Amino acid sequence: MEADGKQGQEGSPELSLRPLDLSDIDDFMVWATDDKVSRFCTWDTYTSKEAGIDYIKNIVIPHPWFKAICLDNKAIGAISVSANNGNDRCRGELGYLLASKYWGKGIVTRAVKMVASTIFNEWPHLERLEALVDVENGGSQRVLEKVGFQREGVLRKFCIQKGRCRDMVIYSLLSTDPQP
Amino acid sequence: MDSGTVTLRPFRVSDVDDFILWAGDDQVTRNIRWKTITSKEEALTFIKEVCIPHPWRRSICIDDRSIGFVSVYRWSGNEICKADIAYGIAAKYWGQGITTKAVKMAVSEVFKDFPDLVRLQAFAAVENKASQRVLEKAGFTKEGLLRKYTFLKGQLKDLVIYSFLSTDITVAVDDKLL
Repeated sequence: MEADGKQGQEGSPELSLRPLDLSDIDDFMVWATDDKVSRFCTWDTYTSKEAGIDYIKNIVIPHPWFKAICLDNKAIGAISVSANNGNDRCRGELGYLLASKYWGKGIVTRAVKMVASTIFNEWPHLERLEALVDVENGGSQRVLEKVGFQREGVLRKFCIQKGRCRDMVIYSLLSTDPQP
Repeated sequence: MDSGTVTLRPFRVSDVDDFILWAGDDQVTRNIRWKTITSKEEALTFIKEVCIPHPWRRSICIDDRSIGFVSVYRWSGNEICKADIAYGIAAKYWGQGITTKAVKMAVSEVFKDFPDLVRLQAFAAVENKASQRVLEKAGFTKEGLLRKYTFLKGQLKDLVIYSFLSTDITVAVDDKLL
């Protein structure tokens, strides 16, 4: 299992990204059962460990790029890049979440920087990494801006989340943009 | 301007000769995903197997003769609130306000045909200023430039994205755009 990690200050826990697997299920359930985390996600807060196990088996493990965000190798969140086919293979969509007790410490920003600095080498066909963020999710918008994503516009009533049509801000980072 | 009546209607097999005049022109197909269709046989197959069964495709007609198309593609799942609109017309009819008229008619019809549709969106290549003007005159809102968004005929394209919401309809009627 390869880990690629960055040390914060001397003595602070090591942040790393590694594949998420079934042994992480209890840590997964910490964020999956938290309404604050699911608020801007397409999924509803989980109520059963079985559903969590199914998700890891059927979605996470076969996923083209899905990693756990880890502090001292303990999963505290997740970050993923989706792949597209055919004419759309040039773009991938970034998604991320973090257990709420770790919010506000710059962890997601560090994790996104780590992905941005490796994904274009891992996927040479990728030209564009994009992210869609709810207009009300200021914290997530700030993460992308700090990493250097370019805000391209607001897509009105773009998709349905939690039963409502939402306005989404679209951001992109190109392989040719200055790397974070 | 008085150039004959512009109407929208479903495609017919009998449109084939008129169809080739515009669908066989690289200028018209340059910014859409269709391959240029030059043979009568290919055109007949395309009309029968793609245009006629399509969930929402109309021939743009002048005096009931086909001079172009407009298509709407609905999304599904958690994206069912939106649909994409695409269009093209014969080069000889460019620059006369015909496409704008056809797109306005299509917008009006689509929101009636799909009362649960919330968002109609359109993409125009960044260098395709004429198509951008069509959308702006038809009342679409420009939302942004999507860099290196997709491959079109082997070229990586920057696309301008526009939208027209179901709630924009009353605004457009008040402003006499529709």
